[in-house]
Amino acid sequence: MSDTAVPEAQPAGAPAEHDDEGDERLAYRGLFQRLFIRPEIGAMIGALAIWVFFWAVAIPFGTAGGTASTLDLASTLGIMAVAVSMLMIGGEFDLSAGANTGAMGIVVILLVKETGDLGGAGLSLWIAIPISFLVAMGIGYFNGSMVERTALPSFIVTLGTFFVLKGAKLGFSKLIVDQIQVGRIDEGHGYDFWRKIFASEWERNGHQFEGRDLVYTLLVIGGIALIALAAYEMHFLRRAERKPVGAIVLAVGTAVAVGGVIILHTTDGVSGNWVGSLVVGVGILVGLYGWSEWRFEPLHERGTVHFPPDIMRLFGYAALALVLSVFFAIVFDSSDDSDLFFPFTEQGLRAVLYVGLAAVGVTMLMIAASRARKVSPMTKSAVSIITALVVLGLAFFGRSESESVKFRGEAFSVMLAVALLIFAWALFGALFTERTSVDRAADRVGGRMVAIGLIAIVVGIIVKLLYTTDAEIAAGLAPAKFSMRSVWFVAFTAVATWVLGWTRFGSWTFAVGGNKEASRQVGVPAARTKTQLFMLVSGAAWLVGMLLAFRLNTIQSGTGDGQEFEYIIAAVVGGTLLTGGYGSALGGAIGALIMAMSQQGIPSARWNSDWRFVFLGAILLLAVIANRFIRTKAEGMR
Amino acid sequence: MSDAQGHLLELDNMSKYYGNIIALRDVTTYVNAGEVTCVLGDNGAGKSTLIKILAGVHKQTEGHIRMNGQEVSFDSPREALAAGIATVYQDLAMVPLMAVWRNFFLGAEPVKRLGPIKWIDRDKAKHIAKEELAKMGIDIRDTEQTVGTLSGGERQSVAIARAGYFGAKVLILDEPTSALGVKQSGVVLRRIVEARNQGLAVIFITHNPSHAYPVGNRFLILNRGQSMGSFAKEDISLDELTQLMAGGAELEQLQHELESAIAAGGDT
Repeated sequence: MSDTAVPEAQPAGAPAEHDDEGDERLAYRGLFQRLFIRPEIGAMIGALAIWVFFWAVAIPFGTAGGTASTLDLASTLGIMAVAVSMLMIGGEFDLSAGANTGAMGIVVILLVKETGDLGGAGLSLWIAIPISFLVAMGIGYFNGSMVERTALPSFIVTLGTFFVLKGAKLGFSKLIVDQIQVGRIDEGHGYDFWRKIFASEWERNGHQFEGRDLVYTLLVIGGIALIALAAYEMHFLRRAERKPVGAIVLAVGTAVAVGGVIILHTTDGVSGNWVGSLVVGVGILVGLYGWSEWRFEPLHERGTVHFPPDIMRLFGYAALALVLSVFFAIVFDSSDDSDLFFPFTEQGLRAVLYVGLAAVGVTMLMIAASRARKVSPMTKSAVSIITALVVLGLAFFGRSESESVKFRGEAFSVMLAVALLIFAWALFGALFTERTSVDRAADRVGGRMVAIGLIAIVVGIIVKLLYTTDAEIAAGLAPAKFSMRSVWFVAFTAVATWVLGWTRFGSWTFAVGGNKEASRQVGVPAARTKTQLFMLVSGAAWLVGMLLAFRLNTIQSGTGDGQEFEYIIAAVVGGTLLTGGYGSALGGAIGALIMAMSQQGIPSARWNSDWRFVFLGAILLLAVIANRFIRTKAEGMR
Repeated sequence: MSDAQGHLLELDNMSKYYGNIIALRDVTTYVNAGEVTCVLGDNGAGKSTLIKILAGVHKQTEGHIRMNGQEVSFDSPREALAAGIATVYQDLAMVPLMAVWRNFFLGAEPVKRLGPIKWIDRDKAKHIAKEELAKMGIDIRDTEQTVGTLSGGERQSVAIARAGYFGAKVLILDEPTSALGVKQSGVVLRRIVEARNQGLAVIFITHNPSHAYPVGNRFLILNRGQSMGSFAKEDISLDELTQLMAGGAELEQLQHELESAIAAGGDT
């Protein structure tokens, strides 16, 4: 095969990293195809969209307190969804997972209760908790080995386990305490210690840090800028020889931007904000230019601006959507809070129509930009600049029309930033050459930069959540309340992601789900792997059982029954394939967050929460369609 | 025929009955390191049975298998693998949704460890996979790409490279070219030569004599479970091979019939 040919499109003296081009039949994958290859990307975009949606219509959304309670709400579902995602990647289902969570809580409570003649052993929690864990492992082992031995579908086997557990919970509860609920885990010996492990909660109001917002802003802006740089790195053709002047310009731009952020934070009032924002914007623009000048090949043939009919048509649709969006925003009175028809209040409807239609219009323009790329670089830049101006216009319009502080402040700055990035993209698209061939070294650098940028943003958000400021205390905002279960959720997701991606067990999980016979032929212990996956799910159910028991103190015999489908929904929303072999643990966690956001957002947007499942079903269908679309796009060539 | 001590793998009068059905009768052949023995036969000739015996899936009813002169017997595919016999099946032991490097190392991933914690040495695995594939002359653009995106020939090549890397002495290839186009078949045939040159003994099962003849050192021809003989390359021509494989006289007759049918068609 051709490992010598360098495509003619490349200018002479292209860097040495370009030489490993590979198969000429494999088309070059664009920036977005390379970034969108992760299974959970659809869920991430969905989660972001839903967050923005509820953020726009519900007041507590987006505050530290609101975020902490979303996390808390998502945690029990999320732990199970992560475990179930792994099992589904391994090609199996566990319908007993839901009932199992309640069962584990009941087991531990019954073990510590002293009920005389009937059962209740009155054990210390130090003994009862390990015993209940062993019981969980036994149930998982039973599920797994039954599925393996009988070769029956796991759907049937675990349905059986589900009914057994459901019946046993009720039966034992009635037999031992003569009630359909068992309670008072706090009577157990060692309760204080174990409560700390499973159910402690703490408020973060005592932790003040006046520099919080500065750190937060710097980290988030820095992270976004780094991701933008990474996108450039992965998109443009690298110079044969670096131009060091560019690096100096980059340093200057960065310094200016940091200075701008500091100005923003040391001044109050409108004029100071404007100066600060302007300085930040100019700094970022200069920095991006410096980076590009430093590393990328300039573009010589720019072509002329020319709009063919298909682009004009897209302009037409975009204009229609934008005009309608502005029209609806003006028609609805900005101070009217009355309820309309289900499920909208006037403000909610207004926000949905305005944001939704504006998003449609901007998307149309972006499609036009990608089409314009085929016409000429200049045309693409022209369309992108129009897009940037539209976003800018929408930002100012939103600011002038909206009563809500969120729209006037936060959304406004975000939209300004988006307009800035689009503008920069348009500008540099006409100044530098786009890459049309593989450059793995650049992709590797870009990938690392994206990772660092994401970490910076996450750290920024964590800082914002964990600390409070004088101003917030003075404003009397609800305290952010964190719970141990959120910590368990985050830790469990992190460990599961690591296990799936970096360990042999993880590799085997994908293998047995993707092609069990093949993996067995090359020596993967398929039966053992699957059994361990069932035990993992059962172990997660045990953990959730403990979290529930220590939070609620009392467990109903029906607790958890029927929840197994929500776990599966969360996993599927997160991009895990129902047929196995593909998916991610992080996807399951994001799926759970989406469900928690809808559960929390619907009532806080003052909609009737009876309709939650309609929302959930719609999300499920949309997610499956979107994931399928993204996967075929990402794989591209099948 | 052969009774020499030095043969890497030798089949001696092997037979297999499924109840009263004779799947394979009195098959005798051998393969040496750095040689290719082709097993040819039409559908139902007993090729699959032969593979299954060598791969440890079934046991022969009569006869012996010897490796380096020692009698061996396999109770499971794992034992055959441990003895150095790797089989690349037609339907391929590959997981299509997994990355090339993960497939390459599946079941034998290199690990790093820190105390009790073990994890896959990704960099090493990717590096070795790329290098081993390059040795076979396959340039995989990115070992992170999924096997599902590879062409049929490339998948066969990955499977062959994997078997070679994990210390197989004997490589059994089950109809590797049957589902492939002309060019792809050429790619796979080149891999077979590559593997042979690296010192592997290759057993190449096919029903296409023109694929077998250029790469083979020895040809075992099966017809309806019977061995039609095992020939060295010097002793047989491609035409003879084709004739023998299809049962000689039958093919000649078919050729006559076809020719007369075409001639008749041309008249009217």
